[in-house]
Amino acid sequence: MSVSEVGSLLNQENTFSATLDHYGKVPVEHLDYGYIEKCMDVKYLEKILRVLRSGEEGVYPHLIQFCEDRLKSLDPTSRALRKDQPVATAASLPTEEWSEIREDLQRWQEETKDFEASILPSSIFHGIGNENVPPIRGTNCSVPLGQNAASKAKNKPPKRALPLDYKDWDKFDVDRECEMIDRSESKKDPAAVINSGHVKIRTRVDVTTLTEKEKLLLASREKDKGNEAFRANGYEEAVAYYSRSLSIVPTVAVYNNRAQAEIKLQRWHRALQDCQRVLELEPLNLKALLRRATVFQHQGSLPLAAEDLRAVLRVEPHNAAAAKRLTEVDKKIREGQPELPAKGRKIFIQDIEEDDDVTGKDEEKAEEHARPVDPRQPVGGVDSVVSPVEWGDMGNAQKKPYGGGRGDGASPHGDANNGSHGHHRRGRGGSWDKHKAAAHESPGPGKAANGTGKRGSTASDHGVAKGGTPAGVDLDAPSGALPPPLARLKNEGNLLFKNGQFSDALGKYSQAIASFTESGIDSPEDLCILYSNRAACYLKDGNSQECIQDCSKALELHPFSLKPLLRRATAYDSMERYRKAYADYKTVLQVDNSVQAAHDSVNRITRLLIEQDGPEWREKLPDIPLVPMSAQQHRREEAPTPEVLQARAEKAALDTARRSELRFTALKQEGNEFVKKGQFQDALGKYTECLKLKPEECTVYTNRALCYLKVERFAEAKQDCDAALSLEPTNKKAFYRRALANKGLKDYLASSSDLQEVLQQDPGVQEAEKELEEVTALLCQSLASGATPSPPTAKPRKKVPITEVDGDQDRSTTDSTTRPQDCGAINLQPADSYEFGQSLNAARSRGDAAACANLLSSVDPERLPRLLSNQLDGHVMGFMFEALDEHLLARDPGRVYRLLQYLHTAERFQVVLMLLETAEQRRVTQLFEHLSSVQSDDLTKDDVQNLANKYII
Amino acid sequence: MSTPFEKPQIISHIQKSLNYTIFDCKWIPCSAKFVCLGNLARGTGVMQIYEVHQGELQLIREIEKAKPFKCGSFGATSLQQRHMATGDFDGNLHIWDLEAALEPLYSVKAHKEIINSLDGVGGLGVGDGAPEIVTGSRDGTVKVWDPRQKDTPVANMEPGEGEAKRDCWTVAFGHAFNEQDRCVCAGYDNGDIKLFDLRNMAVRWETNIKNGVCCVEFDRKDIPMNKLVATSLEGTFHVFDMRTQHPTKGFASVAEKGHKSTIWQVRHLPQNRDVFMTAGGAGNLHLWKYDYPAQRSKDDLEGGAMGVAGTVNLLQNVTLSTQPIASLDWSPDKQGLCVCSAFDQSVRVLIVTKLNRV
Repeated sequence: MSVSEVGSLLNQENTFSATLDHYGKVPVEHLDYGYIEKCMDVKYLEKILRVLRSGEEGVYPHLIQFCEDRLKSLDPTSRALRKDQPVATAASLPTEEWSEIREDLQRWQEETKDFEASILPSSIFHGIGNENVPPIRGTNCSVPLGQNAASKAKNKPPKRALPLDYKDWDKFDVDRECEMIDRSESKKDPAAVINSGHVKIRTRVDVTTLTEKEKLLLASREKDKGNEAFRANGYEEAVAYYSRSLSIVPTVAVYNNRAQAEIKLQRWHRALQDCQRVLELEPLNLKALLRRATVFQHQGSLPLAAEDLRAVLRVEPHNAAAAKRLTEVDKKIREGQPELPAKGRKIFIQDIEEDDDVTGKDEEKAEEHARPVDPRQPVGGVDSVVSPVEWGDMGNAQKKPYGGGRGDGASPHGDANNGSHGHHRRGRGGSWDKHKAAAHESPGPGKAANGTGKRGSTASDHGVAKGGTPAGVDLDAPSGALPPPLARLKNEGNLLFKNGQFSDALGKYSQAIASFTESGIDSPEDLCILYSNRAACYLKDGNSQECIQDCSKALELHPFSLKPLLRRATAYDSMERYRKAYADYKTVLQVDNSVQAAHDSVNRITRLLIEQDGPEWREKLPDIPLVPMSAQQHRREEAPTPEVLQARAEKAALDTARRSELRFTALKQEGNEFVKKGQFQDALGKYTECLKLKPEECTVYTNRALCYLKVERFAEAKQDCDAALSLEPTNKKAFYRRALANKGLKDYLASSSDLQEVLQQDPGVQEAEKELEEVTALLCQSLASGATPSPPTAKPRKKVPITEVDGDQDRSTTDSTTRPQDCGAINLQPADSYEFGQSLNAARSRGDAAACANLLSSVDPERLPRLLSNQLDGHVMGFMFEALDEHLLARDPGRVYRLLQYLHTAERFQVVLMLLETAEQRRVTQLFEHLSSVQSDDLTKDDVQNLANKYII
Repeated sequence: MSTPFEKPQIISHIQKSLNYTIFDCKWIPCSAKFVCLGNLARGTGVMQIYEVHQGELQLIREIEKAKPFKCGSFGATSLQQRHMATGDFDGNLHIWDLEAALEPLYSVKAHKEIINSLDGVGGLGVGDGAPEIVTGSRDGTVKVWDPRQKDTPVANMEPGEGEAKRDCWTVAFGHAFNEQDRCVCAGYDNGDIKLFDLRNMAVRWETNIKNGVCCVEFDRKDIPMNKLVATSLEGTFHVFDMRTQHPTKGFASVAEKGHKSTIWQVRHLPQNRDVFMTAGGAGNLHLWKYDYPAQRSKDDLEGGAMGVAGTVNLLQNVTLSTQPIASLDWSPDKQGLCVCSAFDQSVRVLIVTKLNRV
């Protein structure tokens, strides 16, 4: 605000005619409450304050205070307000605060003393462990204090300390020097230098020489650095520091922080991974749950996000942020509901694909779930008499042995406890009848939801109406192993439920569940009941999704509990997911086949399913778990069939299969990301993990093969391709990559046959064509190269480039153009076996027997075996015979004879001869017939016959 | 801004009068002990080790040497060894084993005149790379030393022939985030600040803040250089954002006039690089927090990048003494604990509260 503006502003506002002058004196009339109150100019106010404080115009403490307050309201950070304050002392702090600080300090002093003592002993090893310290920078390098740094740096190459004596030259690191030079060159461009530097920060720290305590120290420092970078929005950098910290000592907090940074960078998979790791270590880490929910939300897995948010709310029911986001997510889920059936089906398909070894594990898991049930039986003592009906039906009853036992402790409720248990029993019988009645009343199809709703309500009445006290319910009546406050919450929930206030009851139950998990009580049955009751509320509210979730949780805690099963069945039913509903109803009937509602529903659903799926409807059913004897209440006569047994195991596998499916896709995508970034080693790890989860995924094999190729581990690459091909015998990629792998392994024959396979499948693959050409050439080379044991330096040492997309060889693409060129290129004067092999193969690949004949006529017959080296094979031999027979024999039979004479001394000759195909054998015979029929001075028929004996077996 | 109750408080915990002029004090890493360096009245140097114990200072050891000590650092030693490097009035650089300080472990006549300032890096797990000590002297040179190399520095930054020699008042290491990269920043009496790149052995950047530079410090030594604070003779200090270096404009900075007198020292909180304390010539301490701008760099007109400076906020200020506070050191292990020495021949242990909430 300029002076004149302020002036005019002030003139409008008040009657002061005096113009403001920041440099002149403050008029006395401005030292006034009224003026100060209206003055908006901070600078001027500061000036007034200065005048007032100086006391030039007299001392007015109140006016000073007033002026300060006014200034503070306009600009709280004004410098004029800064006052020197005396240093605080212990006395100026509240006693408790000071003692807290003091204790903290005391504790720290003791800790450091211990710590100091712990690091001292290692001081004996002075100097040890310094081996990985970088070398001394140099000796007395002088840096001029130039005035123009930028230009100097440009004009003058950075001065490096050159080694002075020979010993130092040994230490001279050429690569590093080159790198330095490259770097300094790249620095010459005048663009701004940005030191964000996260790319250069190593994400691993070498801590091999450090003690545990030092590691902790270092890890926490790296974490601090990460936090700082995070606050400064340097997320990449933060990730780097967190990774460093984790590489020293992994901690939950740092994983959590890194997850957050990854979220900021929108790298969902990595974030997910970090959250996952936190949750593995600390299953109820709220931050990790919230962050995972964010990730899921962004990845579109809304139900999973909702589940995580709900988990948060269970632990911390008043977490406003989680609640808000949950409503958002739920809304989105509801908006996206039309997609649901399709989604459901997809999952269903995936379920079918699950593999056997996962099932094995899950069977175990299922047993684990079931196990807690069994040991309870004997504990029951008196209660074991209680009929299984009550057992499965009324969760409350299950706790009796515990409740009674624990209640006897110091609790003043001890007596009341027992009393209420009595009520329980009495009440239960009655309500069970009611339940049955309700079930019987349950009408036919279509109204099932209604009916079960009623049933739910009557069933959950138990908790409240137990003792038959309708209005003045004892809310503090203890229930099960629940501590009084929880029991109260539950009873309140029951009461509300009974009164039809379902959503309020829902809140109570949620609270109870949350505080239950917080308090860490080890009583799965109570939790089961709470979930079951809440499920009833959800069912009443028509929220079938939630209901199913709660029921599932309840069932996890206490398998084959009747009520949650029934409720879940109803919920599935109302969502028209009949197959699942059917399975649940069937399970209910296994537990207690007297539940009429279940019978009715099963009949109804059977009809519906037959309509929907035809006569094979049973095959599409999910697996119905087998209910163990202990959980069966009104057992049916017939024993469970083995199919049911198996079915149950598979059912239990569903969950983990789905989880592993999730993990599989995550891993695969991570792997692909790594590949995109060129981090093939990391990608390898991911793919390998993928394959552990799903060993029959073809694409993962081919992807991993690619990574192996990139890191030049050809043998493994080949194995992967083989695996992929065994799964999918026509996979082009696999063939192509196997070709590359074979090329890398120098098995050019196999390589070329793979490439031919690719081209057969899809002739348009240009890379394959190029590769094929290259490989053929290499094949020729290698065939030839073995012929003479040439000195190692002369050996062709061509590095095999692996080109995936576009090769850099500028070979022409059309064969027609290359032919004439190649024809002229055939070397008729081969100097060594390599060149000979090349020429021979060039001729053979074009079927040019004449060229071969020329070649053979130009070489010294005595050298032939040496030139052929060990590269002789059936095709080469056949081709040579053809050339000799058709072209050379007519011209120079003597040479043919001499060639043949030496040919049979070539390496591998005998073997190749034995393996000749009939056509080629015929050609040999033909050749010798022709040869013997030729009249010549220098060869007799006997000679030819002798030679022929060596060739014709 | 935080409410008064939420503001960090600076509490004077222990105060101790000494019988010598104290120039520097440093916490011994991983301990509740610190070292005081100074000048006895009879002209000799003294080194005292105190331990904070139950609200008292206990003198653990006192060592007297021929020349007065000016400055010291633990920056280039390992956690196990904890050897202290000192610079004295005569230009000698020594490294001492504090347990057996009869003879120095390393000794070199580093400069012709007093060593005003030294700094170490590469030890204590701070910064990758070789352990190195940088010394700045009145003779106008700045030298980098490696304790493994006797007698000669690894790098020497001196004015050329015929150039005026300026008194170097302060040196600091930074940018030591990998084995090769490392920078030294030096401040001179004429207001020059120079940034030496040890990797390229060249001056990377220089500027002048018009008044003598009393102290420079990077917010952290072992990260790609992020911020640099330089304090000056007449009471202003500058915070440079070192992330984006514009080819002509250099680094963006913000200046703040906090004290009415010379700012002798600036020290960043080891646990939070954005909080720092300045110590003034009028015996006062100011605690500041740097707030980053929304975008740390922007495009200049030519399309290049240039840095944007943030803002500095005063968190707390107190007056401790009537004499300048010449040195200040945060405990690397205990957040909020610091020691400072003033020319009133006393050393004070301070506690700063609520630092985790700023």
